[in-house]
Amino acid sequence: MMGWIAVLCCVLSLAAASSVAQVSPYRAPRTADGKPNLSGIWQALNTADWDLEGHAAAAGPVASLGAVFAKPPGLGVVEGDQIPYLPAMAAKRKNNQANWTNLDPEVKCYLPGVPRATYLPYPFQIVQSQNNVLISYEYAGAVRIINMGAPTKAPADSWMGWSNGHWEGETLVVDVTSQMEDTWFDRSGNFHSSALHVVERYTPRTADTMDYEATIEDPNVFSRPWKISMPLYRRVEKNVRLLEFKCPEFTEELLYGPLRKKD
Amino acid sequence: MKYRSLASVVAFTAVVAASMLMQTPAAAQAPAAKATPAKTVPAAKAWTAPLLPNGTPDLQGVWTNNTVTDLERPKALAGKEFYTEAELKDLQKQERQRLYVTETEGQPPANHSGVEGAGADDVHYDFSQFGLDRAQAKLAWSRRTSIIVGPEGTIPPLTPDARQRLAEIRAKTKGHEFDGPEMLPLGARCIARVNVVPVLPAAYNSNLQIVQGDGYVAIETEEIHDVRVIPTDGRPHIPGNIRQWYGDPVGHWEGKTLVVDTTNFTELSPFRGAQNLHVIERFTRVDQDTILYQFTVEDPGMWTKAWSGELPITKIDGQIYEYACHEANYGLADTLRGARVAEAEAAKNSAK
Repeated sequence: MMGWIAVLCCVLSLAAASSVAQVSPYRAPRTADGKPNLSGIWQALNTADWDLEGHAAAAGPVASLGAVFAKPPGLGVVEGDQIPYLPAMAAKRKNNQANWTNLDPEVKCYLPGVPRATYLPYPFQIVQSQNNVLISYEYAGAVRIINMGAPTKAPADSWMGWSNGHWEGETLVVDVTSQMEDTWFDRSGNFHSSALHVVERYTPRTADTMDYEATIEDPNVFSRPWKISMPLYRRVEKNVRLLEFKCPEFTEELLYGPLRKKD
Repeated sequence: MKYRSLASVVAFTAVVAASMLMQTPAAAQAPAAKATPAKTVPAAKAWTAPLLPNGTPDLQGVWTNNTVTDLERPKALAGKEFYTEAELKDLQKQERQRLYVTETEGQPPANHSGVEGAGADDVHYDFSQFGLDRAQAKLAWSRRTSIIVGPEGTIPPLTPDARQRLAEIRAKTKGHEFDGPEMLPLGARCIARVNVVPVLPAAYNSNLQIVQGDGYVAIETEEIHDVRVIPTDGRPHIPGNIRQWYGDPVGHWEGKTLVVDTTNFTELSPFRGAQNLHVIERFTRVDQDTILYQFTVEDPGMWTKAWSGELPITKIDGQIYEYACHEANYGLADTLRGARVAEAEAAKNSAK
């Protein structure tokens, strides 16, 4: 009996110790030019693309797909749990949610914008050089090139926005502006205007994980800036590589079927 | 010597190209092995290829392969692989003249209907109004009379099987060109383009950006924002049953040259109807502003022999833009809608 209590006490004190002990910040291996090396193939492993806010499971939009395309549950990735919409914007989100299969640009394979590109359920690859960090996304062949030199201005608005990056210690900080207003944050109708401003932070956490944060600001839609955060996981399979998911082809029946010649 | 002026870039490129030709073994499938800068220019400070901090050659930057050189040699130039310097200058003058005429009178009428054999239409396209005429962007000049190298400078004959297959496709397509989206070219559907692999010039915006990281070279072609992320660690290709529009590229360095081997193309490859394409490419930076690009294409079921091409890729100022093709593909919808309207009118008229 005393032996069991001794073991229990030992285990409990160990648990207490690890919850108190500080994990020393991870220092990633360096590239040849001395920067934290973020190169590799990464993927989020959560349900953020279904719904940034916490959500229970729910039936999917297509009855014949049953459980295969039902909405999975998720704890949510928004700090503070709720996205702070302006009162006037709440109605638009409600309408988006009610009509999401018609309105969600992901259904049409449109470019996802930032930050959605990061947490779509597909991997992406970071190719890191001194002056540019290229991120190639498997979804829709989306891509962006982050300028790591002196910041430059966007020549025009674009779906993937305009990215200027710099290092803050172990963190890659990316400032994203000039995104088209047509993208959504997720499949639950969370949206923004053309005033969207996103600041991302990529911080290596262990050899095969990274902490990702994005601060989202849009005074037309939200009452204050808000933040999402999640880990990203390295795809460690041997010879892993991105494959093609050129989805415009898969949307043709949806978009152009009605224009097909009738027999 | 600084290779700043276009003329000196042209001269140097032409000289390098000529030395490439002389080094190409006669029956070889592969393009010339080494990009040795020719020593025929007067002695000056030798240019050394820039290296990345990790020691690999630096191919990075924003580039264009915009050119006036056709893929295949015009019949009138059969047997003539290179222009002389004087002829090249003349060509440049003709190109300036052509742009002038286009800007003042518009492009000459042509068949833009997408239907083979239809006559010239009444529409006057004028890309120069939008700054999209090729002469309004930087041109990468070459003394070659065709992109395809060698004495013939043309694509080899099709195999009998390929000829049969393409004839059958043409027969099935005739009269059905606009029945549905799947009948239109892959480029019009914003799925894939013919100028991504091999890296060939497009009608406009023939721009690309190269970013290199440890163990990878990424090449983004502006249209349709297609990125090839090429591993250089000598890994095997993906399994043979996985086929992709642009195949699976695997690369390695041979001295200062990036060699890329691409297989696993789909049967519906965007490249000229080939079903089992194999592409080998070589990228060598030959001066500050020029990458010499060489490629070999083979598909034994399609062509009777492999064929190779060569063209310079030249540096440009500025950045590439996002080409969100599918997101704004009004062209495809309007083409189909127009065909339906034309059919309805034809039916109405025949009912009278």
